[in-house]
Amino acid sequence: MKSLRLLCALLLVAVSAARAAEALNLFAWSEYVPQKVIDGFTKETGIKVSYATYATGEEMLAKLLAGGAAYDLIQPPDYIAEAMIRNKLLRPLDRAKLPNLRHLAPEFLALPHDPASAYTVPWMLGTVGIVVNTERVKDPIRGYRDLFQPKFKNRIVVVNDNREIVSWALVTLGLNQNAITRENLAKARPLIAEWIKLVKVFDSDSPTTPLLNGDVDLGVVWSGEAAKLINENKKFAYVLPAEGYHPYVDLMAIPTTAKNVAAAHRFLDYVLRPEVSKLISDEFPYTNPNLAARKLLTPAQLANPASYPPMGKLDTFRDIGKAAADIDKLMTDLKTAAAK
Amino acid sequence: MTIPVQPTQGSAQLPRPARWFLLAPLAVWLVAFVVAPALILLVYSFSERDELGRVVFTFTLENYARAFDPVYLSVFGRSLGYAAATTAICAVLAYPVAWCMAQARPPWRDRLLLLVMIPFWTSFLIRTYAWITILKSEGLLNGLLLYTHTIAAPLELLYTPGAVVLGLVYAYLPFMILPIYGSAEKLDPALIEAAHDLGCGPWQSFARVVLPLTRPGLAAGVMMVFVPAIGMFAISDLMGGARVPLIGNVIQDQFVGQARDKPFGAALAVIFMLIFVTVYWLWQRRAEARVA
Amino acid sequence: MLAFLWGPIVVLAVYSFNTSRLNILWEGFTLRWYGEVWDNAPLMEAARTSLIVATITTVLSVLLGTAGAWLLHRYRFRGAGALRTLVGVPVMMPEIVMGVSLLVLFAAVAVPLGFATVVIAHVTFCFPFVLLAVQARLAGLDPALEEAALDLGATPLRAFWLVIVPCLRPAITAGALLAFTLSMDEVIVTYFTASPEAATLPLRIFGLAKVGLSPMLNALSVLFIVATVAVVLITERLQKSSRSLSSRP
Repeated sequence: MKSLRLLCALLLVAVSAARAAEALNLFAWSEYVPQKVIDGFTKETGIKVSYATYATGEEMLAKLLAGGAAYDLIQPPDYIAEAMIRNKLLRPLDRAKLPNLRHLAPEFLALPHDPASAYTVPWMLGTVGIVVNTERVKDPIRGYRDLFQPKFKNRIVVVNDNREIVSWALVTLGLNQNAITRENLAKARPLIAEWIKLVKVFDSDSPTTPLLNGDVDLGVVWSGEAAKLINENKKFAYVLPAEGYHPYVDLMAIPTTAKNVAAAHRFLDYVLRPEVSKLISDEFPYTNPNLAARKLLTPAQLANPASYPPMGKLDTFRDIGKAAADIDKLMTDLKTAAAK
Repeated sequence: MTIPVQPTQGSAQLPRPARWFLLAPLAVWLVAFVVAPALILLVYSFSERDELGRVVFTFTLENYARAFDPVYLSVFGRSLGYAAATTAICAVLAYPVAWCMAQARPPWRDRLLLLVMIPFWTSFLIRTYAWITILKSEGLLNGLLLYTHTIAAPLELLYTPGAVVLGLVYAYLPFMILPIYGSAEKLDPALIEAAHDLGCGPWQSFARVVLPLTRPGLAAGVMMVFVPAIGMFAISDLMGGARVPLIGNVIQDQFVGQARDKPFGAALAVIFMLIFVTVYWLWQRRAEARVA
Repeated sequence: MLAFLWGPIVVLAVYSFNTSRLNILWEGFTLRWYGEVWDNAPLMEAARTSLIVATITTVLSVLLGTAGAWLLHRYRFRGAGALRTLVGVPVMMPEIVMGVSLLVLFAAVAVPLGFATVVIAHVTFCFPFVLLAVQARLAGLDPALEEAALDLGATPLRAFWLVIVPCLRPAITAGALLAFTLSMDEVIVTYFTASPEAATLPLRIFGLAKVGLSPMLNALSVLFIVATVAVVLITERLQKSSRSLSSRP
């Protein structure tokens, strides 16, 4: 009984301590904002940051839409940001408060989801590409057709992301990756059915684990994960698929329900500083859109083929609304059939 | 103050003040945090989603129609299969352990109980990764088998259905051990001796004496393992390589995955729960009938 | 059997001393990860939160579950069947569904997410396990026990407390352990009902998994197990010494 009372007292202290000073409620991908950056910001501004996390953009959306907690700054992926802008869930940014925006390369401020960057600021850019363990695979792998061959059955890991997998089939067939229609899905179906029979592991969270463990020799993974693999061991190579690829962007944006708008702007401008942005690159070897920060990186960091591949047009995923249900059904069906 | 006490269970009338004192917390909790969310779910299941994935309240049966698509039925069937295998293996493994624990002398009982439970106080994810370290093709188990020349080439252990069942058994074993222990502990060893003296072999005395007396615990264990195991998805993702979609994965994808279709997810969950609530209700009624 | 249960634990304990950042190969011995855990303030904070949540959840679940089981077992009243069935619902509800629907509920009645909502959610899915375990034991209990107590002049409450509860002790212990275990390790429902200040350990660990699990987390598990065993041993010793004290003439 006594210990229960003690616990209650502890709780009260914990709750009241959390309600002091100016605060910023950050809602971002798990571990995507380095602790160093948050500590530096708090030290400089006195603003206490509470960092809530999510593992998928949809998880973020689900929690945000339900209400219950007001977030000041979120990190949506490109296609979700697009839908949020259209539904007036994001607040226009006050560019005057973001002088450090000038460090960003102009092409990253004109992405399809928000061409004028009125609502969003790019955080990091990635691509989805092929990782090859060159010690075990001697054939040249240039794209999806080279990768998905029967002889590589059970030696492949791919991200567990239905839309990604469908988009690879679409570009292989010469179709637009964003044209998710029933006809296109029907065309892609036989190809995907063949492919997923060859896959040993689907994993979005840590697709590099089976590659490092030696359970598989090939993978289609996020570029940042691939970059970490290459840093770990030079036997891994990264290839952008010849059939076509797409970049994806994680953004920073302020929801309309935000309470601490000024603090959110301060944090945004803080992370756009070259020396702060560099800290993020040090921990997450994705493509940094901040040109001034790139100048601070080591030649080895810049030479990592997964971090800074030669990129052409920045053709990102667009929001496809309800067509997602068709993808879901198609993939559930094909995976179930492949497991028989 | 005396109240009428009748010999059969569950038949006494509740005195008024005690009734509220005992009943209120349970009833209030169930209504507020079980009935209310279940109603929300029910409403969702007849609604539609908008472009963003918000729920739009209408009345449609389309979600239910989709749920009975063969694709999702076969997913459901497969989930049942995995859960049934898990439950059976858990029961076989847990029974002797629970029995030994129950027969141990009292100070050892609690120690054994903790010995069984402590592994589960480490994070699920860390435990699962430890299994991956053991099972991967260059892992500890394959290394051991190769070293002792039991096998010539590494076995494919990880990312197989077997690995998924292993992971499920490992995750749910305590939920079988503990309820069986709870009801086996009260068993009087004299009963078994009596059975023995009456000429029962060990197997017969188990089947005729021990099993019937521990049946409630076993039943509770089955319930605690089988039903949650159907909805489990993290293990099939981590140890099965997410190759086989289970019903938990499908529901998960509707709520926080790309499908963004809460009404459909809700319909799947409602069907799922209706089946089990019905089975559970029948089971409870049978248990009652047996007592009366 | 113990080898099966403890095998993975031994493996993760061994790897907590590995110099390699990745749980792949054994490279060398180090205590570095233990230092890192200790210095990782958010992780230690989350561990503390988890312990507090699990303790409160266990106490509430045992109260609610034991009283509920007794009530449903012993007395006949209108709605008993419905209550009995409802108790099974949280066990059947997939975690994600419970998480989302509780979140919608809390948002609808404007309860801010935080510590209290996490505890409410945890009790909701934990107490049925206590109730089921206790119910299973009650099913085999001799009704004559309570009758005897009542005949000897005990009030129903005293009879319950002095006669029934001691008989139920193993089932209550088992139920409490289940509730504690569930609460310590739950991720999904917690995710939807927690605020950042109330982030539990499993939430943190799932976040860390995103950047690769470091042996730091293994070290944390080892520390936790060692601490539990120590607490158990100390309690036993204390009980023993107090018993020997009181039994002295």
